[in-house]
Amino acid sequence: MISVTPKNLSEHNVKLDLNNLSPEQVALEIRNLDLYYGNKQALQNISMSIPKGQVTAFIGPSGCGKSTLLRCINRMNDLVDTCKIEGQINLHGENIYDRHTDVAALRRKVGMVFQRPNPFPKSIYENVVYGLRITGENNRRVLDEAVENALRSAALWNEVKDRLHESALGLSGGQQQRLVIARAIAIKPEVLLLDEPTSALDPISTLTIEELINDLKKQFTVVIVTHNMQQAARVSDQTAFMYMGDLIEYSDTNTLFTTPLKKKTEDYITGRYG
Amino acid sequence: MAIASKSGNYRKVKNSLAKWVITLGGISVLFTLVLIFMYLLYVIKPIFESAKVEAHAQFAITEPQKVLSTGVDELQEVAYSITQQGTINFYQLVDSSRYKAGAKIHSQQLVADGEKLVQLVNVGQEQKLLLDSAGNVQLIAPNFTSNFDSGERVIIPSVRYPLGEAFLPVEENNVALKKLSFAMDDEKAIFVGFTQDNRLIKTSFIAEDDFSYDTEFEAEYEEIDYSAKYVDDILVTPDLAMVFIREADQVAVYSLDEESELKATIIPQLAQNKSSPNHITSMALLSGGSSILLGDDNGQVSQWFEVASKEGREFKNIRQFKVSDKEPITAIYTEQFRKSFYTETPSGEMGMFYTTSEADLWRGQLHQGNARAFAIAPRADGLVIFSEQELSIFSVENEHPEVTWQALWQEVWYEGYPEPEFIWQSTSGSDDFEAKFSLVPISFGTIKAAMYAMMFAVPIALTAAIYTAYFMTPGLRRKVKPTIELMEALPTVILGFLAGLWLAPIIEIYLPAIFLLLIFIPTSVFITAFAWHKLPRAYKTLIPETWAPIILIPAILLAGISAFALSPVLELYAFGGDIRQFITNDLDISFDQRNALVVGIAMGFAVIPTIFSMAEDAIFSVPKHLTSGSLALGATQWQTLVKVVLLTASPGIFSAVMMGLGRAVGETMIVLMATGNTPILDWSIFQGMRTLAANIAVEMPESEVGSSHYRILFLAAFVLFVFTFVFNTLAEFIRQRLREKYSSL
Repeated sequence: MISVTPKNLSEHNVKLDLNNLSPEQVALEIRNLDLYYGNKQALQNISMSIPKGQVTAFIGPSGCGKSTLLRCINRMNDLVDTCKIEGQINLHGENIYDRHTDVAALRRKVGMVFQRPNPFPKSIYENVVYGLRITGENNRRVLDEAVENALRSAALWNEVKDRLHESALGLSGGQQQRLVIARAIAIKPEVLLLDEPTSALDPISTLTIEELINDLKKQFTVVIVTHNMQQAARVSDQTAFMYMGDLIEYSDTNTLFTTPLKKKTEDYITGRYG
Repeated sequence: MAIASKSGNYRKVKNSLAKWVITLGGISVLFTLVLIFMYLLYVIKPIFESAKVEAHAQFAITEPQKVLSTGVDELQEVAYSITQQGTINFYQLVDSSRYKAGAKIHSQQLVADGEKLVQLVNVGQEQKLLLDSAGNVQLIAPNFTSNFDSGERVIIPSVRYPLGEAFLPVEENNVALKKLSFAMDDEKAIFVGFTQDNRLIKTSFIAEDDFSYDTEFEAEYEEIDYSAKYVDDILVTPDLAMVFIREADQVAVYSLDEESELKATIIPQLAQNKSSPNHITSMALLSGGSSILLGDDNGQVSQWFEVASKEGREFKNIRQFKVSDKEPITAIYTEQFRKSFYTETPSGEMGMFYTTSEADLWRGQLHQGNARAFAIAPRADGLVIFSEQELSIFSVENEHPEVTWQALWQEVWYEGYPEPEFIWQSTSGSDDFEAKFSLVPISFGTIKAAMYAMMFAVPIALTAAIYTAYFMTPGLRRKVKPTIELMEALPTVILGFLAGLWLAPIIEIYLPAIFLLLIFIPTSVFITAFAWHKLPRAYKTLIPETWAPIILIPAILLAGISAFALSPVLELYAFGGDIRQFITNDLDISFDQRNALVVGIAMGFAVIPTIFSMAEDAIFSVPKHLTSGSLALGATQWQTLVKVVLLTASPGIFSAVMMGLGRAVGETMIVLMATGNTPILDWSIFQGMRTLAANIAVEMPESEVGSSHYRILFLAAFVLFVFTFVFNTLAEFIRQRLREKYSSL
């Protein structure tokens, strides 16, 4: 067994009982979710509750469905034509797959950061205010304030404050990823989905982002998909292990990495496959 | 080991061979392009070169008598002089087996011994009219025949008498003449003279049949009402329409029809100053006989011709040429077939000018102010000057005097036009036609055709590209894109042919329908979209969402059919039954059947695939993670399209439009077949145009190799080359920048 010592475990004085959360503690509730790509089933009967104000990590081998599950939370899978979803994901007690749901409004509540940094070919400033501008916010003062807050929250302000109006494409990969996070949090979402946010970055940028995630959970519920078990152990409070479209085990990070209940989990975290 | 090394050598050889072949291919493409460019410049270059005059030969020949006139044969091998005593002497100019250069080879007495010539009138460059002291005239034409008997070409000079050998009386009562002018055609010869007793007479010889083979004629004598003590110059125009009579500083113009009435009086505004008043010192008729040139003692030549104005036709001062600062202009010599003229000042300074292009072609000193006779060679490629002791021959290189940068690109005041204009008219049925080479109307036509094509193509191609790249399902896209790109392979001659013969008449008949379509199609699209939006979900699910746009097809068809059905009705009630007449009469816009609208549609159709294909690629290659990023921020599809996709693809879209424009500018067959090819300057959608490309296609077969026309067509090709080069380079430049800018995406 590899030695994984989650560094933030000491901070966890309150251990949540993930199966019996009170409604105030729940940010998202996934219930009996099945997902099909054409005829192929990619997610099988997933049910879980994601607690508010915490970092939840999805881990598992490639193709296990962790990214797919993440993308279900803000309905990014809608863009895939052959994708069919059954079951529910409840946000504030409302099913986001209800046909009256305004998908654009949902995505403003559930922001997402992708694997590769994807700043728009615009200035740093315009990247951050993009989410505000599309809702019709054009007040200069509001935008300026939002830019500063978002960039400070994303720990990027000091690096870019003097070149806000230069192209975002001139930033380094790690800076771009933090810019994208700033862009996502500028519209003040409730939930922030991070889809392998550091897989394209160097170790130092990775460390910066991980520290940032730790700060972010004060404001947002964070759900992160990661390949990297150490990263999951370092940043997350809860970890869900998925395998072949099934949710195998879901518990607090410490328990999952130290005393996994399932054999598959243990095999995975000890590196027998994956 | 040996085998390995052998195969290694073989691979090396193959590798370096491939490298060299590919390099050769690349370089030869560039080389060919440069070669085309160089060849175009090589053909164009002569039209911008100035004229050259070089001394060719000089012979010491002392004529005992005063030389009145001179001339030379077409090949410049024999020159002649006509003296005051009425002798014509022919001189050999090139060495031959029989004569040395400079030798007198023939001499002939034209008048009776003791008689003297009073005046000699040059009639064109080949005929001379001799006037004796008794007021009798004889028309002679020095004649040169080639003989090859001795195995060598020998020029045998002789004299012909087009009006017969006898001296003919001009004045009814044999009164002697002080001044005489003459012109003739096949049926009529007109003499206008000023008699010793100060009368202006007009004598017409009317041929019984035709002067070219029968010299029998009937004479008519008239007197023109004119009172003066003397006249300085009389000039009858070669078309026998007018006579110009100069008396000091004013020129009277009489028409030479039955009445011979005064048409106009030209009084030039000469720069007068009291100490040295200016006077006219010379007058000449420009080739074609419509313009006169007046030289004054201030060294200036002015050109005048008749112009239609509000007050009727009047002679106007068109342009001036400053020949000299201080010397008067003693003589003006004009070329027979071109609008060139030479000026002469007392010191022997000569200048060569071209009127229409206002070109100052050449200046120089050809003699020491002692010239007695001057003649331009029949092909305008040489000059003959007889001075007191010398016969000088000069060669002239002046192929393209009518072309200047100014004449090509600025308004030019052509003879007979009321004002300066941009005109392209390279040929005409008439012989004394002056070609008009303004590149402005055809360059304008190119741009006009391209603009109308772009107005039609850009909206369709871009919306199609956006839809295909951004909204269409991948399966459908794989079928649609190659289909549209296949349209590009359609020969444009077929498009042009269909546009000219099928589309143009339809548009003419259903013109209101075309404008209704402009309203109906967008409206029907919006109504369909709105109806679809409001449709209950139960019905919407009947069609898969990706196939929903199919319902637009019947909507657009319906809009089209109703537009064509309503067309006659609209025409009847809104345009008085005939929209063509309405446009022509009520709106006062001229209407061509093959107009810019037809070209816009046909050529637009040809450029759509170019623009579509490139723009679609640009939009489709916008990285998916950018669109996802925008959507994940809560943007709608439409917002994502406008704010991210189009923004990112905009350089590519711009370069697609530029490539389309480049294609439209260079397109030939469609504009050739679907327009009337009228080189006019008019933005009207109901008028045709002529483009650079079509102009080259139409005129190149009929232009004489090496002529000004030929070279200007090459210049037009060069301008076209520059146009397309600019558009394509701009497109390519922007695409390169795009590649750099978004390489990090």
